[in-house]
Amino acid sequence: MARTYNWQIQREMSYWYPESRPQRQFAAVFDINKCIACQTCTLACKTTWTSGKGQEYMLWNNVESKPYGFYPLAWDLKLLKLLGPQEWHGEVYAGRTLFEAAPAGTRVLGWRPDDQDYAYPNVGEDDCAGVIEKGASFDIPHLAWFFYLARICNHCTYPACLASCPRGSIYKRKEDGIVLVDQSRCRGYRECVQACPYKKTFFNPLTGTSEKCIACFPKFEQGLQPQCFANCIGKIRLAGWISKPEQASPDNPIDYLVHIRKVALPLFPQFGLEPNVYYVPPIHAARPFLHQMFGPQVEQAIETYRRAPDDPDLAGLLGLFGCTERVVPRWLREKDWVVGAAEDGTELVRVPLKEPVYIRAAFDTQYQVARVNCP
Amino acid sequence: MRDIRHLLLLSLSIALLASSACRKPAPPPPTEVVLFSAADVPLDPSHTAWQGALEFTAALIPQDLVEPRQLTPSTTAVRVRALTNGVDAAFRLEWTDPTANDLPGAARFSDACAVQLPSKIEATVPAPQMGEAGGAVEIVYWNAAWQAVVAGRSDSIKELYPNAAIDHYPFEAPSLQQSPASQQAMTTRYAPARAVGNPVAGPRTTAVQDLIAEGPGTITSAPATASRGQGVRTAAGWAVVIVRPLPKGLAANAPAQVAFAVWEGAHEEVGARKMRTDWIPLALRGNP
Repeated sequence: MARTYNWQIQREMSYWYPESRPQRQFAAVFDINKCIACQTCTLACKTTWTSGKGQEYMLWNNVESKPYGFYPLAWDLKLLKLLGPQEWHGEVYAGRTLFEAAPAGTRVLGWRPDDQDYAYPNVGEDDCAGVIEKGASFDIPHLAWFFYLARICNHCTYPACLASCPRGSIYKRKEDGIVLVDQSRCRGYRECVQACPYKKTFFNPLTGTSEKCIACFPKFEQGLQPQCFANCIGKIRLAGWISKPEQASPDNPIDYLVHIRKVALPLFPQFGLEPNVYYVPPIHAARPFLHQMFGPQVEQAIETYRRAPDDPDLAGLLGLFGCTERVVPRWLREKDWVVGAAEDGTELVRVPLKEPVYIRAAFDTQYQVARVNCP
Repeated sequence: MRDIRHLLLLSLSIALLASSACRKPAPPPPTEVVLFSAADVPLDPSHTAWQGALEFTAALIPQDLVEPRQLTPSTTAVRVRALTNGVDAAFRLEWTDPTANDLPGAARFSDACAVQLPSKIEATVPAPQMGEAGGAVEIVYWNAAWQAVVAGRSDSIKELYPNAAIDHYPFEAPSLQQSPASQQAMTTRYAPARAVGNPVAGPRTTAVQDLIAEGPGTITSAPATASRGQGVRTAAGWAVVIVRPLPKGLAANAPAQVAFAVWEGAHEEVGARKMRTDWIPLALRGNP
């Protein structure tokens, strides 16, 4: 085991390989508050990559309801139970990561889903965390709540799948940090399936190899966002690049949201993988649940997000989500407009800070008909 | 009364001594795997020719040197017979396994076995566990799931999950049926391991694969698989024949080493999680 630094837990930790960050790291921000679980992302991925024989059960992208939705079944609960209660001391994680808690003879603490665990991707869908009692008031956070959690591979800085593969069949690309299974080298040992805490590596029983989300790298290499981003009708996603915290640049949209405004947080940072998909936490869900899922900065992230209507920079950048298929590595606000730009400053997209509102008269005098308001 | 008792004891002792003098002493168990000469090497594990080869029982130990380690033992021994026709070397492996595991799945593992020899027959042998840098080993790997496909199980999810419901595969769309080439191209695109020619990915025509390794974690496919193999279920477990080219340099006066490994699917054994032997002397000899 090597000693590496994980900024998400603000301490050194043990990892199977020495720290080796890519030249640039693919990253994404998902705004949970805007997700409606339409599963368009799921289908965009499914039809693009996993419509083959042996891939029937695979959802490289899935959206599950929390707290009672899972794919595969109880993926997070099982691992949290295996890991046991752990502590944060402020923003420093004082517990054990999955690498530090690895049982004897293994490299990562993990578990392997059974076939049946994948069979119910919609289990728990729209199930509330509690029942609404008579006299309940409507407040934030809600007394009874659920939220939608869209998930892809996190293309982690310290991937557990990569660490666990005994024959080095999984690699992290130097040019973009995307984590891939070498399909010519994999022998289907399924160590990665067991090790990935997010359960985003899958075994193909007909080819006998493991497969996973590839961040649509053929698109990303051309400056285009992955399919699940480009097809998201809720415009909850933004793909780009993330810097190390000390190198954060305010004109980089991901850096701004993650490092500068700290409004987007990693999923289960305590696992120690430094995942690179960041979530704007749902404002209405129970804080202890969110604390467990997104770490100790969740209160601050929610407060910042709730102030966005009075924060034109933050609101403007959030409005840039889903407005172009192009990857937007730079952004700036020009008064009431937000501009997404290429690395060289070339304008890629321009959106208004606030969408104009047009109110039509209820009666159309030209055609002499009453107008009907349709959503 | 006492005299009669003495007489009876004396008679019994004489009878026992006489009996033991007539019985042939049991031959000592073989200390090496012997490749006996045979006109042909049968692929069928139940072929009578195998009765002509002396059986060697190899003790299996857990692979506990490299991660992921096998910490709890499973299969304890593999019984080996070996034949050669001067061109090929054939090994018949038989072991006890009450469960037949030949269905692949996320958490379903296949029974398997392997035969390992040094790439070069020389006085210095590489490390017994997958060889070492500069000391390559040749491995022939047999897998029960592959055997089932070779025996006729179709390449369909329905064979693995009979109750699976599949709406549609895009490459089976009616519009593509007039163009088998386009259909095949799209089918391959959705099977990336096949698209890049990974030999484990199929389509499968043999139950074995030739592999080369120079230490743990380095195993790689041989350029082509020249070996053959066939496994059958027995009343107690598996009997598998692996036929590979006779190692160059192996001669009566130049013995070699051989090692074996067995994977118990029910014990979730795969890859490094296995039961293995140490090197075992391998000798070439005439008929027993």
